[in-house]
Amino acid sequence: MILAICIDDKNGISFNKRRQSRDSLLIKDLMETAGERKVFIGSYSLSLFSGYEDRITVDNSFIDSAGDEDICFVEVTDPSSFIDRINGIILYRWNRHYPSDKKLTLDMSAFKLDSTEEFRGSSHELITREVYVR
Amino acid sequence: MKKIKTTLALLLTVFTCIVLPSCGILPVSEAPKVSRPPVSASEGGYTIDTVPEYKNDAFVEINNNVPYFESSEYMTEAYEYYSDLDELGRCGFCVACVCRETMPTEKRGNISQVKPTGWQSIKYDFVDGKSLYNRCHLIGFQLTAENANEKNLITGTRYLNVEGMLPFENMVADYVKETSNHVMYRVTPVFNGNELVARGVEMEAYSVEDNGEGVCFNIYAYNIQPNVVINYADGTSREQKGGSTSEASQDSSDVKKYVINTKNKKVHLPDCGSVASIKSENKKTVTSSLSELIAQGYSPCGSCLSKQ
Repeated sequence: MILAICIDDKNGISFNKRRQSRDSLLIKDLMETAGERKVFIGSYSLSLFSGYEDRITVDNSFIDSAGDEDICFVEVTDPSSFIDRINGIILYRWNRHYPSDKKLTLDMSAFKLDSTEEFRGSSHELITREVYVR
Repeated sequence: MKKIKTTLALLLTVFTCIVLPSCGILPVSEAPKVSRPPVSASEGGYTIDTVPEYKNDAFVEINNNVPYFESSEYMTEAYEYYSDLDELGRCGFCVACVCRETMPTEKRGNISQVKPTGWQSIKYDFVDGKSLYNRCHLIGFQLTAENANEKNLITGTRYLNVEGMLPFENMVADYVKETSNHVMYRVTPVFNGNELVARGVEMEAYSVEDNGEGVCFNIYAYNIQPNVVINYADGTSREQKGGSTSEASQDSSDVKKYVINTKNKKVHLPDCGSVASIKSENKKTVTSSLSELIAQGYSPCGSCLSKQ
């Protein structure tokens, strides 16, 4: 799978079992980056993908069901436990500081930065997209 | 004559209590639509004594992150309430129903004219931005666009402002901008006894339309600054260097004329009403900073310096 995940300035993922932030233009960017690839999400993320329902697969067990090149958008879960299944990462940086009680602890040394892109979000001045490959 | 005076007094009372408020001429303290959070164990809340000691994290969770709002207090329209200052000039709880309507439409204005209780202009080289204290919005500007509202500004450390409070404000602001939903938001400064600087703030938030699925927290953020020892009674401070300490540099702007009573060790502003009653042999005018005088054993006058 290709992991897609958002983090803040302190590598935070979530706080109190809730996402730190959201941005409609980030979702748009993710869907454009995905292209023809399948995008898996958990039911918790469904409200973010309004307008893209026909292009996503809602599956709370997507870690097991996603194919090698499918994109899995992960929230409120530290993906370290399934690092062996991750073939690449689309990492979004909010470039802001939020509270967090769950952080990204993934060992990034197993991946190589392939590209970096910055764009303005709908409620964020600057979002950074980093793409990593194995 | 006495009867006329009594009648005039009665008419004045009626005019003051009924006529002027109804015309909106006198500022009337409006009762909040949302109550303050419980602040004692007997009310089912936390107390300053039960908040864990600071240990490297800028905040701790309270009540399992569940805010103390009553469900009857949830709103879906813009609302803001800022408590009146107490007898010491200190802020109380502030509450808002944050929505797009309450958010700023222009840049933040100047707030430097506000001197919250315990305010000191002190700088340390190792503090981000150098100044130990910020005029710290209880409800952040990005949420309700309040500028120099003295009921919404406390003396807060840089650490409280940036590491403790701002991340939560960011979270709420983003949520509201992206969803156009409403968030109940309450911030309560927590003072210990008569201290002029808050020990911390309680921050509660709950997103209304999705029943807290988007935003739900209840935390206590510490008003501390790593490596600085703060005297919460008056805001004075010193650097913590292992066992030894060194005094902070004082802004020249804090140095001004005071009248001191050398007998009862009180400090007054020159225009304080109590100055006239000080015996000449005990009265002395000095040019100094308040913190220096406090360090010499003087205490601020409860009247003229309660907001310093």
